[in-house]
Amino acid sequence: MARTLMRFTGVGGQGVLLAGEIFAEAKITAGGYGLKTATYTSQVRGGPTVVDITLDDEEIFYPYANDGEIDFMLSVAQVSFDLFKNGVSQGGTIVIDPALITPSQADRDKWNIVEIPIITIAKEEVGLVLTQSVIALSIANTFVDAIEAEHLKSVMLSKVPKKVHEANLKAFELGTKYAKEAMEKLAQNA
Amino acid sequence: MELREIISTGNDLAAIAAVDAGCMFFGGYPITPSSEVMHTISDLLPAAGGAAIQMEDEIAGIAAAAGAAMSGVRSMTATSGPGVSLKAENLGLAQMAEVPLVLVNVMRGGPSTGLPTRVSQGDVRQARNPSHGDYRSITLCAGNLAECYTEVVRAFNLADRFMQPVIVLTDETIGHMHGKAMIPTVEEVKKGIVPRKTFEGAPEDYRPYGVGADEAAVLNPMFKGYRYHFTGLHHDAKGFPTEEIETCRKLIQRLEDKVMMHTDEIELNEEFMLDDFDGSEGEVLIVAYGSVSLAAKEAIRHLRKDGIKAGLFRPITLWPSPAKRMGELVRATKNVLCVELNIRQYTEEVERVSGRLDLEGLYKVNGRAISPYEIVNKVKEVF
Repeated sequence: MARTLMRFTGVGGQGVLLAGEIFAEAKITAGGYGLKTATYTSQVRGGPTVVDITLDDEEIFYPYANDGEIDFMLSVAQVSFDLFKNGVSQGGTIVIDPALITPSQADRDKWNIVEIPIITIAKEEVGLVLTQSVIALSIANTFVDAIEAEHLKSVMLSKVPKKVHEANLKAFELGTKYAKEAMEKLAQNA
Repeated sequence: MELREIISTGNDLAAIAAVDAGCMFFGGYPITPSSEVMHTISDLLPAAGGAAIQMEDEIAGIAAAAGAAMSGVRSMTATSGPGVSLKAENLGLAQMAEVPLVLVNVMRGGPSTGLPTRVSQGDVRQARNPSHGDYRSITLCAGNLAECYTEVVRAFNLADRFMQPVIVLTDETIGHMHGKAMIPTVEEVKKGIVPRKTFEGAPEDYRPYGVGADEAAVLNPMFKGYRYHFTGLHHDAKGFPTEEIETCRKLIQRLEDKVMMHTDEIELNEEFMLDDFDGSEGEVLIVAYGSVSLAAKEAIRHLRKDGIKAGLFRPITLWPSPAKRMGELVRATKNVLCVELNIRQYTEEVERVSGRLDLEGLYKVNGRAISPYEIVNKVKEVF
């Protein structure tokens, strides 16, 4: 496997950090190397947050994604989308929540922008807004195909409290479903 | 050595290392980006029979830690740059009175409150002399996740051996990054612990500071019948204040010599991809430490692919500096690039030990990491 670089962005308090930890741990426990770094501002809530995830079969030294090399980004806040989108390689995929982000035509020309209403799915279909990070996790993995889904799911369950296992399993399945639908739509349009 | 795999962050590894190394007390005050060291050790210590206390500020945090150390236990505090500034006075006291303790500094942008959530190596010069007066700081610097563990363990061992504070520098990048670390087993760590020296004779014969010219004080645990006076003033063999000319001179000279005559026990470096260096034209020696060395290693991979023979010298013990080895290597290689997240703080030491003033440098002080490409481009630009 070549190096996979993913970036999750949002604002402080949305819980985008957890998905990164799960990815890194899943890759490591599958026998490879994974690193997660988070960059945030000194604002407690509301500041732009970016999580970089690097997965590789070889040892990884530098833990941040180099700008222009990111394969996949997921964003749930306009401010973070604007700040960090340029890290994504031309033609790379950016999944956004259309209720929170309005990309420009230039953005759509440069990247493969995929709209999935992550927060709405978490709130209305799962009924627990906190599960957005697990929805994001399974969307990202469906697109990038970095980790075997069952393994990722089991690592995810080991990182969330038992009482929300069911909700997070549902979130995981929904993320996969929405991502697959979006990928089919892309394939049809191509 | 037997290793185990752990998936964690640098800050958590520092806390786990302390407990595995037998630390029984943590006194501190939370500060970004070091707070997780305190959070985690607060969970771990009570279960291990120790205690962690959040004091009213950073000053009280180190004061409590020093007090615990004087009772005979291993003790630690953790903070970031602004906290070190506050703790400086008590670090000086611990140097003078010879109290062994470990201070972890997860560096962030400075000076003053600076850039709280962002990475920096701006405290390297501060770590050399955080407080006034003559003494030798021992400062270790973790360059990857595993070293957040191993260097904290080593710091405890050095603190007990040399009877003084030992600073472990990490930074926001390494403190917060989450990944795999291969670290020694707890049994291996326990095997490496040499208990602090104690005096076993009659209490009336006890002279804690009456030791050899290059030896550390022998401080028995307090409240066990071995009484001595504890002060930051110049003191005699029993710890009582004195201005006697020779006693004062010998005391400060001993603080210097107990470290500088035993640097072989303290020094630790990594030499990465230097095996094939033979002094030939075109070789590029990068000097970097801490999280910057991660970018340097990645850069060296790229440079080698492009046919440039590059390698890294990485001091793990920053102070006292690895003067002999670093000087040799820097003198033997024409093209030398120092890379730091500050402005020349360690470069000046590299210049000093090598006697060279023509070293190239790449420095960054805006709270952002130096990327491998910036190093690659700099090497191609200047050499």
